[in-house]
Amino acid sequence: MKKRFAIPAVVLLAAVAGGVWLAKHHPASPFEAAEKSAAAPDLVARGEYVARASDCVACHSLPDGAPFSGGLEMATPMGSIFATNITPDPETGIGAYSLADFDRAVRSGVTPDGRRLYPAMPYPSYAKLTDEDVRALYTYFMEAVEPANHPNRPSGIDWPMDQRWPLAFWNMMFTEGGVYEASTSEDALWNRGAYLVQSAGHCGSCHTPRGPAMEERALDESSPLYLSGALLDGWYAPSLRNDPNTGIGRWSEADVVAFLKEGRNAHAVVFGSMADAFNNSTQFLTDEDLRAIAHYLKSLPGDPERDGSPWEYDPASAAALAPARRAEVPGAQTYATKCAYCHGADGRGRAPWIPPLAGAVSALAPEDASAINVTLNGSARVVAGGVPDAYRMPPFRAQLSDREIADVLSFIRSAWGNSGGAVAPEAVAELRGPTDPASSQVIVLQMR
Amino acid sequence: MELRINRETYSVQSEGDTPLLWVIRDELGLTGTKYGCGIAQCGACSVLVDGVVTRSCVTPVDSVEGSEITTIEAIEADETGRRVVEAWVAHQVPQCGYCQSGQVMAATALLRESPNPSEEEIAAVMVNLCRCGTYNAIKAAMADLADGGERG
Repeated sequence: MKKRFAIPAVVLLAAVAGGVWLAKHHPASPFEAAEKSAAAPDLVARGEYVARASDCVACHSLPDGAPFSGGLEMATPMGSIFATNITPDPETGIGAYSLADFDRAVRSGVTPDGRRLYPAMPYPSYAKLTDEDVRALYTYFMEAVEPANHPNRPSGIDWPMDQRWPLAFWNMMFTEGGVYEASTSEDALWNRGAYLVQSAGHCGSCHTPRGPAMEERALDESSPLYLSGALLDGWYAPSLRNDPNTGIGRWSEADVVAFLKEGRNAHAVVFGSMADAFNNSTQFLTDEDLRAIAHYLKSLPGDPERDGSPWEYDPASAAALAPARRAEVPGAQTYATKCAYCHGADGRGRAPWIPPLAGAVSALAPEDASAINVTLNGSARVVAGGVPDAYRMPPFRAQLSDREIADVLSFIRSAWGNSGGAVAPEAVAELRGPTDPASSQVIVLQMR
Repeated sequence: MELRINRETYSVQSEGDTPLLWVIRDELGLTGTKYGCGIAQCGACSVLVDGVVTRSCVTPVDSVEGSEITTIEAIEADETGRRVVEAWVAHQVPQCGYCQSGQVMAATALLRESPNPSEEEIAAVMVNLCRCGTYNAIKAAMADLADGGERG
């Protein structure tokens, strides 16, 4: 009898020991023995470029705070967490980090004292950064970022969910680990694009759907779910695959480059969370890198089953906007008086300055969050090359009721061949509170 | 870039994304068109572009190259526009007057498209804002103009 339990007990003990080892394990870094040495200036410049491409500043800064000094609140289902100070301040920042410490935080999500970072820090993507880029990034932060004494805010997650060691198991299940490996069947441009998109760019953090444990359901193009569009932050991050309706299927590679360089093209203008990514990150990439990103994204096939039949312009809806007929169609009067002066009675906008609504992702996607959010709150300032945009979507939350917004969006999402479908007033009400910029309870930022 | 405004050709230097309103007022000195809200919600900046009422504060100038633009300065050269101005004077519509060039543009565009508009049509189209609250006078003037239109 005793003996029958002996073997399972040994197995159990080994499993527990293995689990404890994993939870407490300090991941290896190729920089363990690295000596601190004076940095070459081009390494600082390269590190700054990697920091731009990684958009570290977007989360690790507040609009009125010192760059990289942390503090941004991110809501999770368990409570808020706060981005940390990553300036080289020795007391409150990362000034005491060795290169190996820095590497473990960025690529493995583990701090020098062994704590696991929450995957709000996109280390599953940064894990793919090359050793050279990590070294450059570290050099930039240590040599060129101004130290700021700004203590980190403790997370608002209560016991037992504040225990971080289970994240070691999350990492085992959901991260792949390892630097980006070039595909031998693709050319250098494609591989550079894949590297930027998958590692520093961490595009999938917003554009790839997440699973029940908040994990990105794919980390590269081997899965058709990769960059296939996702709902988060009260926005719908569109598909970045060749889906004509919800993705970039109708865009050329030059359109993708223009969008990331200028913030606009004939199809769309950046808004929502992408405005941050554009303002702080994508416009600073070289034309060659943007061409690589465009080339890689345009190689990702769309999914007609998910995307539906491709959009085609239909002029029929213009009749509903005739003054004598507007009262008959809900939303038509609101569209004619609040929207049409910019976006046109024909829905075509004034590209590239004012985006079309005819064929826009926000009017074609089943997810209506972006359409509602941008109508309630307007678009963020787009600053291209230091020059703020001349035209911006104003917020309509004070002018229009939930019903009026639902009606006008239902009109837009069924006009000019759009197929996004009706918007319910309840869906507007649901986003109105949590996205109110005047509220101290605003929780816009979910995990990204 | 060349612009056709009030049947004259102007050569303009502004960048393509410059709002038409800025070009009209600042570069060409046609200051009858007013800046109100800057986000297409009030209508003070209304002009006609190929006869269609257009809010010039949100109109990139490169989008109206080759179009025939009419501003308040030339509205009385248009038969409908002249009648609108006469009705506006008869009803003493303006108070401070700031929004009125836009109101006249909106009225002219409607009457040119629909000479005998119904009350519903007038209500649907005359949505420019007026801080003095001249809406009742505008309504009365529009009612006269709608009745006086040539009936087909």
